[in-house]
Amino acid sequence: MHDIIHQLEQKREQARLGGGQKRIDAQHAKGKLTARERIELFLDPESFEEWDMFKEHRCTDFGMEKQSLPGDGVVTGYGTVNGRLVFVFSQDFTVLGGSLSETHAEKICKIMDQAMKVGAPVIGLNDSGGARIQEGVAALGGYADVFQRNVMASGVVPQISMIMGPCAGGAVYSPSMTDFIFMVKDSSYMFVTGPEVVKTVTHEEVTAEELGGAVTHTSKSGVADLAFENDVEALMMLRRLINFLPSNNKEKPPVQPTLDSADRLDHSLDTLVPANPNQPYDMKELIIKTVDDCDFFEIQPDYAKNIIIGFGRMEGRTVGIVANQPLVLAGCLDIKSSIKAARFVRFCDAFNIPVVTFVDVPGFMPGTSQEYGGIIKHGAKLLYAYAECTVPKVTVITRKAYGGAYDVMSSKHLRGDVNFAWPSAEIAVMGPKGAVEIIFREEKNNPAKLAEREAEYKTKFANPFVAGARGFIDDVIMPNETRKRICRSLAMLKDKDITNPWRKHGNIPL
Amino acid sequence: MFKKILIANRGEIACRVIKTARKMGIKTVAVYSEADASARHVELADEAVCIGPAASKESYLVIEKIIAACKQTGAEAVHPGYGFLSENADFCRQLEANGIVFIGPKVLALESMGDKIASKKLANEAKVNTIPGYNDPIGTPEEAVEIAKGIGYPVMIKASAGGGGKGLRVAFDDKEAYEGFASCKNEAKNAFGDDRVFIEKFVEEPRHIEIQVLGDAHGNIVYLNERDCSIQRRHQKVIEEAPSPFIDPATRKAMGEQAVALAKAVQYQSAGTVEFVVGKDKSFYFLEMNTRLQVEHPVTELITGLDLVEQMIRVAAGEKLAFGQSDVQLNGWSMECRINAEDPFRGFLPSTGRLVKFAPPQEVPGQVRVDTGVYDGGEISMFYDSMIAKLIVHAATREQAIERMRDALNSFVIRGISSNIPFQSALMQHPRFQAGNFTTAFITEEYPKGFDASDVPHDDPALLISVAAFVHRTYIDRAARVTGQLPGHELKVGDEWVVLRDGVPHSVTVEAAEGGYDVTYAGETFKLRSDWKLGQALFEGTVNGEPFTMQLERRKLAYRLFHWGTQVDLTVLRARAAQLLGLMPEKQAPDMSKFLLSPMPGLLREVAVTVGQEVKAGEKLAVIEAMKMENILKAEQDGKVKKVSAAAGESLSVDQIIIEFE
Repeated sequence: MHDIIHQLEQKREQARLGGGQKRIDAQHAKGKLTARERIELFLDPESFEEWDMFKEHRCTDFGMEKQSLPGDGVVTGYGTVNGRLVFVFSQDFTVLGGSLSETHAEKICKIMDQAMKVGAPVIGLNDSGGARIQEGVAALGGYADVFQRNVMASGVVPQISMIMGPCAGGAVYSPSMTDFIFMVKDSSYMFVTGPEVVKTVTHEEVTAEELGGAVTHTSKSGVADLAFENDVEALMMLRRLINFLPSNNKEKPPVQPTLDSADRLDHSLDTLVPANPNQPYDMKELIIKTVDDCDFFEIQPDYAKNIIIGFGRMEGRTVGIVANQPLVLAGCLDIKSSIKAARFVRFCDAFNIPVVTFVDVPGFMPGTSQEYGGIIKHGAKLLYAYAECTVPKVTVITRKAYGGAYDVMSSKHLRGDVNFAWPSAEIAVMGPKGAVEIIFREEKNNPAKLAEREAEYKTKFANPFVAGARGFIDDVIMPNETRKRICRSLAMLKDKDITNPWRKHGNIPL
Repeated sequence: MFKKILIANRGEIACRVIKTARKMGIKTVAVYSEADASARHVELADEAVCIGPAASKESYLVIEKIIAACKQTGAEAVHPGYGFLSENADFCRQLEANGIVFIGPKVLALESMGDKIASKKLANEAKVNTIPGYNDPIGTPEEAVEIAKGIGYPVMIKASAGGGGKGLRVAFDDKEAYEGFASCKNEAKNAFGDDRVFIEKFVEEPRHIEIQVLGDAHGNIVYLNERDCSIQRRHQKVIEEAPSPFIDPATRKAMGEQAVALAKAVQYQSAGTVEFVVGKDKSFYFLEMNTRLQVEHPVTELITGLDLVEQMIRVAAGEKLAFGQSDVQLNGWSMECRINAEDPFRGFLPSTGRLVKFAPPQEVPGQVRVDTGVYDGGEISMFYDSMIAKLIVHAATREQAIERMRDALNSFVIRGISSNIPFQSALMQHPRFQAGNFTTAFITEEYPKGFDASDVPHDDPALLISVAAFVHRTYIDRAARVTGQLPGHELKVGDEWVVLRDGVPHSVTVEAAEGGYDVTYAGETFKLRSDWKLGQALFEGTVNGEPFTMQLERRKLAYRLFHWGTQVDLTVLRARAAQLLGLMPEKQAPDMSKFLLSPMPGLLREVAVTVGQEVKAGEKLAVIEAMKMENILKAEQDGKVKKVSAAAGESLSVDQIIIEFE
């Protein structure tokens, strides 16, 4: 018995060292923390319960039987973040490059299965060289087992991937199916094929960082949601995000108490929208001044900046915020922004997070690149997402709500629960100038007449009253009371309960 | 008394005049340009009249429009404020011709004091000291020596066409005068092709000190003591105070009496200012007279207890001064900081845009006063002056006034645009300023290379560390109260933390206490108490019972604290996290010399180069439109364009990359 305990201690000691001190030092030299250090930082102190510390691979080819280490390159288990349960796996690059074997995959699957049973988020800290080639198809099968679980868990428990090292080839498809992907600058990259293959096949010369680094994926491809300076910042910010999210699709989002009054007025908002309808303003100011404690956790801040998405709280309860950003492309909807917002709305809907939408949209972006790129289908994603969404939806039109984009942005017609407009709102098919040029086409050579028509159109439609008269707007509110009115609306909607008709699943225009 | 007056001005001075008029029961009319339609003075006034487009020369400077506005509203008198038409004799004359009273001096004073030569002549006649000098070209060095002797050393020998320090000599004796004259003449001939040279008295260690005078229509004139306005940056006043730390009662009296003599000579009525240059030997010489209310008049108001605008209105209405010279008080010390929309860390470039947050310190009668023309959510436009507020304090002594000003600056919240508050804070704690030992060259001498963060070291780092720890604990404790925690396994927030400043760890213990936290750092305990709430920019509290105020912003993991002009980023982590952060590589800030960055937020109008193009230093690269002003960005060095990262028509933020060079 004593022996066993001694052995246990030895095994634990060995497991804790992963690939050994030399490899740990190498990991540190690369500016990366080890798998265990990452878990230690991420979870509440001493809350980690590790599973399968002694699991080893079963491969005997290519001398692998001599290279077996307890844990097999991934640390798995559960713990708490601010006292709330989360499951976590953390790939250990010091053990065989964090490569994924059949057993490595089994460990991940085990905690995913358990997370599904108890309804808790799964957090993956990815740092892996890829499939363990020595194992061949056994490793590939392991990937697919994880993929299948990612899909089954999607919309049931939140899944978040933190890319903290390489993630290439088939390995990218597990994170890609999770809800959020975070990356660490300069030490992580994701791509389907690496720079060497790219060079051979397409003759493009590109570095790993340019091809699939954190900046690339958070600003160009939109694959990743946030980029962080280093492991510590990434893990601390991940803790912040988790405090916004419910643990599963059956529970409401958590409540973080606040001292910020629901009745707080902010008169500076009365001057946010400039007198000139063509002058931009920063929608983020409205968001920050509206949410509790000015605390807005923005997602994808560097991608498709013409739309803003992220989490905030109102009276302590999490809300998802979607807002057009007039500062970028006048706040137009285009392919990228539609996809960005659509996916976010669906996340909120899946996890019972009310959606607050701030609208200032002059329409969809015109042009061949948009049409050839399929704006029809991609724009429809956002429309579909809002229409399908059953969580409380509160919408505030601050200025323009033109054309089809008006319909899309959580309008009354798409089951918007409470739709407000500021006095500066202009809800119409298009801007006055464009409208009169079409309606009064025969007067196009008479600029004086056209100007008169434009003024007429402006008086008639460039205001919230036409929409108000039809009940498409529930009320016209002063900007300064935006927080108060949203808080009240959300309080009223707290127990909203509607369901969509039964079906296997809808057919969102992918 | 008037029933209704019009204020032919904008900004803080218009608001300030309205305030007094309201107190006196007089209705007010504001005038405004299209750019000022939602300005504060328009809001405050009983009536407002739009007088044209944004440009001053089409609105605030158009006499006919002001007179029309008076007639339209029935205003009986006009207060011109300062600047714009305030010293315009023609304006005064036309108002009078239309039966409207000009709240200011009469045409005679405006005209005679508006002319530099005439005013100097008048001053001489009134026996006011003027800078002795010889204003005809001088022929020979011998002649120069004779003249210099007559004036008295030191003297300044200057070329008629001189400028920028060229053609200028200071001589302290005959020999220097002789040689200086010759070399100055020579230099002037070579540099300017004009060898005419003059000599005048050289005032050593000059200060700018001015006397406030007030006269009525009945020949009564008093002086209301002095203001010291020596702290100037590029000839713009930055700080003004009353009294002057340099002036003794005898000099004050002498200067005051000369100022009154000059005012009498032009039958001055209303408030006016006689500016003097004062040398280190307390000799003083007349510079010019400002025939209007000055920007810095509040410091005089606070030490004398008078309302100068009220006095101006009463005088204009024909009332006699209700007091004489012997009734004029000099109570305590007053100081004014001009708060400008400019970025002191970027060479004082003007900063325009939306005031995302504007919360001046709380006004306390007799202690803190804020004169401003802007408001929370307002817009700073590029059309007018960059001064957005005047922060004025009053206290029993100069030391206390400085303390009060430092506190007030700490609690002045401005976001969205940059302000010179950090610079003002730096000046307030400068030993030379605190000692009252300065001249008009103070800023040039002390900040020869401009202003940067190293000019404002913080003398109480423990306070910064404690506040960061307090703020972080508040955030963490709040996060730890989230619902849905595993019963019995809730997070217990520990008391041991590490505050990182510039990568240096400082261990602290943070214990919850009634109304705050006790932070122990380096063996000392700081009892911090504050009702600060998450997200608030202003942190007001006490440390071991002593009140203090600072400002903060949360930026990802870091807290940026603003205090006494210092900006510092602090990160608070658990000890283990701080230790692991130490393993993270120090990231080199990218070399930005290869990039053209946007120096300001604005609209990219044009990119003048294309990828692969060779550019020479000075060549136009891009045009940014900021607040309707076109700013041309030029190449600082030769190079080749690698990439154009922004397209015309795009809105740029500060430091956004526009062009990348190879």
